Amino acid sequence: MNMQCEQFEQILEQRDEGALPKPALAHLETCEACRALSADFGAIHDMALELGHDEIAPPERVWISLRNQLEAERLILEPQAAPRSASRASSGWWSVLQHPAVAGAFLGLVLAAASTVGYLSNFAQTSVHSQLAFQQESSPVPAADSVFKEEVLTVGSDSIPGLQRQDTAVTASIRRNMQIVDNFIAICEKSVREQPDNQMAREYLYGAYQQKAELLATAMNRSMPGGLQ
Amino acid sequence: MAGFILAASPAHADRIEKHFPVQSKPKIMVRNSSGRIQVKAWTKNEVLVAWTNATGKSVVQTEAAGNRVEVSTQADVNGITADDSKTDFEITVPVESELSVRTDSGNVTVDSVHGDMTFDTVGANLQLSDVDGYMVVKTIDGSLLCTRCSGKLEANSISGNVQMIAPTLDSVRVQTSSGNILFDGSFLSRGIYIMKNFSGTIEVHFSSSDSFDVNANSLKGDVINQATFKPDTHGTPHPASKWGHGFIGTMNEGHAKVELSSFSGTIKILKRD
Repeated sequence: MNMQCEQFEQILEQRDEGALPKPALAHLETCEACRALSADFGAIHDMALELGHDEIAPPERVWISLRNQLEAERLILEPQAAPRSASRASSGWWSVLQHPAVAGAFLGLVLAAASTVGYLSNFAQTSVHSQLAFQQESSPVPAADSVFKEEVLTVGSDSIPGLQRQDTAVTASIRRNMQIVDNFIAICEKSVREQPDNQMAREYLYGAYQQKAELLATAMNRSMPGGLQ
Repeated sequence: MAGFILAASPAHADRIEKHFPVQSKPKIMVRNSSGRIQVKAWTKNEVLVAWTNATGKSVVQTEAAGNRVEVSTQADVNGITADDSKTDFEITVPVESELSVRTDSGNVTVDSVHGDMTFDTVGANLQLSDVDGYMVVKTIDGSLLCTRCSGKLEANSISGNVQMIAPTLDSVRVQTSSGNILFDGSFLSRGIYIMKNFSGTIEVHFSSSDSFDVNANSLKGDVINQATFKPDTHGTPHPASKWGHGFIGTMNEGHAKVELSSFSGTIKILKRD
């Protein structure tokens, strides 16, 4: 029986460092989508290996929340114990996401997706809060945007993960702009609370969320050994 | 085969030059953490990279492969400060060149280069003059001054200002959070101009012969308009937003499309003298 894409994805996700089994290789021969997926995973894995292991790991609760959300959205298929530290996470694809730079990029992508989904799904809603409440009632895990709001977007200007540059001007710039974006988020949230059907205010709020995610990714990226890489 | 050169700067601020012969439309990539980057054009099929590192604590690495030239700085020792690693570049390229510049701080100037360009900075200010191409700018709080720029411009900043002076751009997508945006030029026929900020001022200047549709809206701020617009008659009628201040209208035939939006900033549509 030929392997299906879902089975292939499961094998790919669970693979450590070894070669793919023959059925998976055979599936790769015939499935362009899985070839692309495999290539993407390989590129991310290689990039993560190059990043070293001396970054500051984000709090474990971030990974637990993200993992729960990714499982709920079937982006990863089988539960795995949340890694306790970057040094212990040497196997499995989940370890890739423990590296701040990769995680930052990933967070940005997922946040963008969450924003889009949130934007579209909110279109007919009259309240952000009622929509989030509905999602939380119908799902055992919080919605993606609430995860990011609680775990990532609340990263303050004093605790930017991985930001350990010695270039004080750059550090100051990032912190200053983080405060600007935080202020915008607070102002937009206030507007959305006051006028739940104000589509413009909601668009600005999501825009501010995206800016924060991008700023965090930039901060982490600029903190990699060697600075600009 | 790629040429690969490592050149440690001497302890004093000597200027070092390297020449790279190229064919038409080379791609030049520059990565520098701190220091001025000046790019200008000449008619030779050659890229000239010259740099100065005052402290000698950073290493300039160059790589040339065919039509691709890469220049980057690396710290020579751990724990050096931004001032230690500051390296100033003067790069001369063929007029038709592609550029990719990534830097943290220090000003970047590009003069008379025609080709696609990307800029990624944290605090570096960017000054483009007489350039032509598809320009993509991403900065955190650096400002952008674009003088007589042609082609297409995408710029994204958090607190930097963006100014376009005498542009001949047919596509503008500029977004800044707290910075100001100034567009002082003509709206080209079929052009699309989207300018958005959160706070700060968006100011566009028009002449009576310009032809454009405009949609301007500030949710919490004001819109100051010196133009006489007629109702937009193109396609599906778009009702003005019930939120904030703004309007939708057409000047002359409405050949260009202009969208101006702000959360709490002021939008000014002013007649050019």
